Amino acid sequence: MANLETQLLDEVIVRGRRKMLALGGAALASLAFGGVKVAEAASYTDSDILNFALNLEYLEAQFYTLATAGMTIDEVGIGIGAGTSATGGGTVATKPGGPGSCLVPWTIPAIQAYATETAQEERNHVTFLRSALGASAVAMPNLDLYNSFNTLASAAGIGAAFDPFAADADFLIGAYIFEDVGVTAYSGAVPLITTAAYVAAATGILAVEAYHAGLVRTSIFGLDPTGSLGLQGYTQMISATRMALDGSTTVDDIGVGFQTTSTEPAGTTLEAATIVDAQTGSPNYSKTYTRSTTQVLQIVTGNATPPASGKFKGVFFPNGLNGLFS
Amino acid sequence: MDKKLTELVDKALSRRVFLAGSGAAAATLIAGCSSSPILSPTPTVTPTPTPTPNPYGQIDYLNFALNLEYLEAQFYLHAATGSGLSAADTGNSSATVTVPATTLVPGLTTAQKNYLYEIAQNELDHVRFLRSALGSSAVAMPAIDLMNSFNAAAAAAGIGPSFNPFASYEALLVGAFVFEDVGVTAYAGAISLLDRLYAGTAYVPAAASIMAVEAYHAAEIRTLLIADSVATATTTATMVTPNNTYVGYANKISALRATLGGGNETPLTPLPPYSLPFNPTTYTPASSIVACDPTTSVGYARTLDEVLHIVYATAGGAGVKSGGFFPSGLSGNITETLS
Repeated sequence: MANLETQLLDEVIVRGRRKMLALGGAALASLAFGGVKVAEAASYTDSDILNFALNLEYLEAQFYTLATAGMTIDEVGIGIGAGTSATGGGTVATKPGGPGSCLVPWTIPAIQAYATETAQEERNHVTFLRSALGASAVAMPNLDLYNSFNTLASAAGIGAAFDPFAADADFLIGAYIFEDVGVTAYSGAVPLITTAAYVAAATGILAVEAYHAGLVRTSIFGLDPTGSLGLQGYTQMISATRMALDGSTTVDDIGVGFQTTSTEPAGTTLEAATIVDAQTGSPNYSKTYTRSTTQVLQIVTGNATPPASGKFKGVFFPNGLNGLFS
Repeated sequence: MDKKLTELVDKALSRRVFLAGSGAAAATLIAGCSSSPILSPTPTVTPTPTPTPNPYGQIDYLNFALNLEYLEAQFYLHAATGSGLSAADTGNSSATVTVPATTLVPGLTTAQKNYLYEIAQNELDHVRFLRSALGSSAVAMPAIDLMNSFNAAAAAAGIGPSFNPFASYEALLVGAFVFEDVGVTAYAGAISLLDRLYAGTAYVPAAASIMAVEAYHAAEIRTLLIADSVATATTTATMVTPNNTYVGYANKISALRATLGGGNETPLTPLPPYSLPFNPTTYTPASSIVACDPTTSVGYARTLDEVLHIVYATAGGAGVKSGGFFPSGLSGNITETLS
């Protein structure tokens, strides 16, 4: 039965799809077809792809470092300036108490441990990409890890505001927003890269993002194994919102929950979880999805409609991303 | 080229694999995939001239992956349902699957079944996807051993004289652990090979997305092992000490795999004991759910040979062509180690 929340969500979805379809060939060209990527800009280099990834890694590293250390990544010694510069780089908008207030008051040791591990890994990804890019590395753009969550939660129908730093479960939901997107972003990026060493590196980072996504989704299911606590429901709302933003006309995002699988012997049906963000059975056959850079931009900036000119801006990137793919 | 990236390239590329030295050879390879109905038959390959011909085509790499998916699917289906792949899904293979008398894992809670049933479905789907993509080129399932193999691995790893992964939930997690990280590294290595040879085709995205699913599984299994260590912890009024029995078994397996498969392992860090009431500001957490390079946090990739040494459970050296989980070797053309 429809309520105000589902009506708002339906409107977001419908509005997004109508605008997507109205845009015509240029916009459609940026979507993935059958897993084979279509070129997205007139010309781009491997460095442009890696810099796109670097923007996303800055965002994830900041989120996890704030959550586990109450500090920004530059405060713990990670470079955020352009190239190899020791200065420069954007700011991070945080809740009113500042970075220190983002330290999550952990009550579950395993979750604190996972968060601490992930924060280190995301910082390592920033450092690795900056090292690979050298002088070509873009500076960290301005980020927003406060208003962004409120905006997304409102669009998703979770509530008027959302603070992922408030407690363990909220942190997991905040992490959920990023990790599956990272998987689809790197899946889209790997085939576009031409240098063998960068393909290997991007493949290796893709694997780690998928480990992170699996870790977060397993933790959410573990805390809410029947869905009665509402955490599963939040992930499903977030997945629906991501789909509404990226304009996909086929499923490319499923939340944490349940599915009925049809396995062997023939006629057997089993009640399974949806830890993996992939539909089982024909035609997808349990493969994760791929997003174009445009689709990723739509999600992380909260714009279902690509801008008529200039950059995608909003939500996590209030002034847009740095580099070609923005 | 950055030294670290060069090291990654060396790891990812098998020494055997070289690009076609001529357009004619490349055309032969491309023609070889004409019986593949789902994947594009017209890849755009731009060969870089090198002197040594490539002995494998994309069909061989996909069949290599199919062998590993047969293995995983048989393991998880037996654990979930008590029986394995149907004849149609094995290519009507007459090869045997050696398993203990009982494989349906006893005593699973609803949530534990939810986890198992999903992974079983994923692996079944991967078998079906690869078989569908390969069409008439798909190899039939070879003989698979899920009993003697685990006993031998347990002995070699120092776990004990035998090990039955179907005996309990915790044993299942350890059995699953044997496979999942390896699957990730196998696909990671394959992606670099496929991309170098068949860039622009649908093979790379397909392999990347299957690798990602294996990584979801690997993280899930590692997370569940840690969660189980907490669920079965020793708890007093002031201290919780996780029970690391099965985390320990997994780490012995990890050490064995490192020996057979050229390193490329991250042990599973036990969750440190914590005091009650829990104080996060004085707790020093430790975790390694992700298997990756400790400096760059980039995931590992294995060569074909490294994967074969692991699944054949036989140490380094050329000429290894059967053993471990594949008592008669893999099916297809990638079956024997060259190093």
